[in-house]
Amino acid sequence: MKKNALIIDHEACWGCKTCEVACKQENGAPDGVRLIYVTEDGPQKVDGKLSFLFQVNICRQCEDLPCAEACPAEAINKRDDGIVVMDDESCTGCRACLEACSYQAIAFDEEKDTARKCNLCHHRVDKGLIPACADNICLAHCIYFGDPEEIEKILAEKRKARNAKSA
Amino acid sequence: MYEFKYSNAEREMEVYGYDSVVKSHCRMCHGGCGVLVYVKDGKVAKIAGDPDCPINHGTLCSKGLASAQLVYHPDRLTYPVKRVGPKGSGKWERISWDEALDTIAGRILDYKEKYGAESVVFGYGTGRENEAVIYRIANLLGSPNVLTAGHFCYGPRIATSIITCGTNPIIDYDNFPKCIMMWGNNLAISNPDEYKGEPFSVALDAGAKLIVIDPRLTRPAARADLWLQLRPGTDAALALGMLNVIVNEGLYDKEFVENYTFGWDQFVKRVHEYPLHKVEEITWVPQEKIRAAARLFAKTKPAALQWGVAIEQQINCADNDRLLMFLMGLTGNIDAPGGQVLYKTPPIVNVSRFGAHAMLPKEQAAKRLGGERFRLAGHFAIINPKTVWDAILEEKPYPVKMLFFISSNPVLTRANAREVYKALQKVDFMAVADFFLTPTAELADIVLPAATWLEMDYIGDFWKRHGYILPRRKVVQIGECRSDHEMLNDLAHRIGQGEHWWDTFEGGLDHILQPMGIRWKDFKEMEYIRGEVRYRKYKEQGFSTPTRKFELYSTTLEKMGYDPLPQHREVPESPVSAPELYREYPYILITGARQPGFFHTENRQLPWMRELHRDPQVEIHPETAAKEGIKEGDWVIIESPRGKVRQRAKLFSGIDPRVVAAQHGWWFPEKEAPGHGWDESNINILTDNAYDGCDPEMGATNVRTLLCRIYPEAREGE
Repeated sequence: MKKNALIIDHEACWGCKTCEVACKQENGAPDGVRLIYVTEDGPQKVDGKLSFLFQVNICRQCEDLPCAEACPAEAINKRDDGIVVMDDESCTGCRACLEACSYQAIAFDEEKDTARKCNLCHHRVDKGLIPACADNICLAHCIYFGDPEEIEKILAEKRKARNAKSA
Repeated sequence: MYEFKYSNAEREMEVYGYDSVVKSHCRMCHGGCGVLVYVKDGKVAKIAGDPDCPINHGTLCSKGLASAQLVYHPDRLTYPVKRVGPKGSGKWERISWDEALDTIAGRILDYKEKYGAESVVFGYGTGRENEAVIYRIANLLGSPNVLTAGHFCYGPRIATSIITCGTNPIIDYDNFPKCIMMWGNNLAISNPDEYKGEPFSVALDAGAKLIVIDPRLTRPAARADLWLQLRPGTDAALALGMLNVIVNEGLYDKEFVENYTFGWDQFVKRVHEYPLHKVEEITWVPQEKIRAAARLFAKTKPAALQWGVAIEQQINCADNDRLLMFLMGLTGNIDAPGGQVLYKTPPIVNVSRFGAHAMLPKEQAAKRLGGERFRLAGHFAIINPKTVWDAILEEKPYPVKMLFFISSNPVLTRANAREVYKALQKVDFMAVADFFLTPTAELADIVLPAATWLEMDYIGDFWKRHGYILPRRKVVQIGECRSDHEMLNDLAHRIGQGEHWWDTFEGGLDHILQPMGIRWKDFKEMEYIRGEVRYRKYKEQGFSTPTRKFELYSTTLEKMGYDPLPQHREVPESPVSAPELYREYPYILITGARQPGFFHTENRQLPWMRELHRDPQVEIHPETAAKEGIKEGDWVIIESPRGKVRQRAKLFSGIDPRVVAAQHGWWFPEKEAPGHGWDESNINILTDNAYDGCDPEMGATNVRTLLCRIYPEAREGE
């Protein structure tokens, strides 16, 4: 089975938050419920220089699944292609997964009283489309979707080109 | 290079069952990006970038994606209204377009007869691609007064580039600049003209070196090879310092200087007035850094300068623009592939010709407000806002009786907001066209419902300088909303200008395209048209300036009675120019850093945008915050000699402890009409608009740099 992953090239991210809105448009999460969100990392002194990055935070599709283990309703499951899907219908709203996730990647919809997380737009992926945030919307081209090995190859090349400038 | 070209429109259509997909051209900022608009049951269902558009290559920004939230917003004005209570009472009554336009037409003709056409002032904000129609109607009426953002936004780049090298030099991202100097700009999150963030990102990923000039640590500044954190408002001195290095180290393009520039000797003399030790003292930037940046920019070919509006909203507006052009020119990057190109527009009726400036009688042009003081601005039909407020409040040099603002919210966006508010309250008659009843519209007599970009046919990017025009295709009709172009076309007939206008504005689009031998119905079938791209055209024909040279010494400014060479001027309120005031207001306040999602005062009622920024924020260094007893998230008072407002503190070590950075454009659509909290967090309550603080050539208001004090709201009144 083809593996699917979403990989962020954080060095390229400008913090424009277009991915957040692309997700809203696709998944219609209500106000305050963010399945993908951008935070600031820094500024902090690193080797005498101020480091300041943006972090795109989203479900990591972990290998082991502390969220699924914590879920009494078995609402979180990993598919063969690696996509970890949370089924809102089965969710009982106990919030155990929110506690279990070490990335703060699970949101809570107070109105529906259920947890929500990024399901990697599996409804799109299954129909031959790309997740909304990764569908070439990012003006920094920092969100990649597909085979993780292929993506890592691309990113390695990208880093090489980027760093060639220091030569 | 990894190819990004997703957005599988065909598959989207199948999977989601959309009825159609319309290619169009976004205008949630100045316009620019190609979009795909998916439609279902007659409604906009999804917006995506157009992968085939040469501007954005399929990418988009948060605002573009949120367009449908604007189109279908429940608070949108969808029919004309007139005021029924006293001015500013927030009481409105629905009227017909006929009644609205007849009333406006009647007023225009009446004031023209009694007080002269100059008593009627038209205005627009930062532009919804409506500038050409607004100038046309004003010029044909005989009013020389069109109040725009042009005095301190883009207008100065146009005016100064025309007098220096013929037109605005635009970065040639297609040919990958190898060094980019980003000056007072952050195009990936702001609302840039011409190109957006995508080609900049690609150029960097291809290995371009990056130099960033900014008082704040932006992400580009953090990623840069060199970040020059200058004292706010000292851009001209910094540029002169870099030019000093380039001249003294012989890093300039000697062939270019010898054959294609005017005023080299005088220029060199001026540059020698700015030795690096002096520049360091003025700008706070260490000499070594200035030298390193100058060398890197001058030695890397091709290099490009990504400038932004921050350098224009200062007392040094025109000189800043010219100095940055000198950096482009003297390093041999003007009209060079991968540098900065003087692009040709396709052969159409351009903005200036469409604007009918030639039809304004000379004696009327001579009455342009502030035209004698701000002569470069006046020459380009641009006026300074205070001249209008003064003409309303003091009737000097003559009374202004009527305002017609189209897409403008000056009580938020112009300096000395309380004076603006007073003038708008006093003016005899005001019409406004906008999407919502904004705090400005609430002071009007008649408000017209404006169409968004999804509700109009238009020739997108018609006014820009990258050489492209792209069709904006109408997708939906909302209520009785009309495009600015359609409503002014209609109004023009009612004030006797019929012969210069058309039955519908499609005729205007045909007119613009006519020199190409095509009509709107042909153009709307096309992807885009670009003017011919040629490099180093000056080698054959010189530059389009009075001397045919790249003018380091401006013969135009000399004739107008200005210093022909650029200089550094201190902003009126700085630790240097006002040391006594600085003791009372001990921080340098900078304003207006862009927030993704907002376009000046727009979009605060769109849920997806507001979710990105709930409250106005002021950045303050943690050391300064500790000194003032301010904690993260506290509501704080920012105060200047003009007044005070509240914003929430964000502790940020990417700013000098002597500087605080407040956001602009804040009002609260959710708060009660008619004020909507316009003066609670509006940073222009604090800014000044006195003439002697404005750029002497362009009349640019200094809204970016002033002095302030800052303290926790809880301590107010102590």
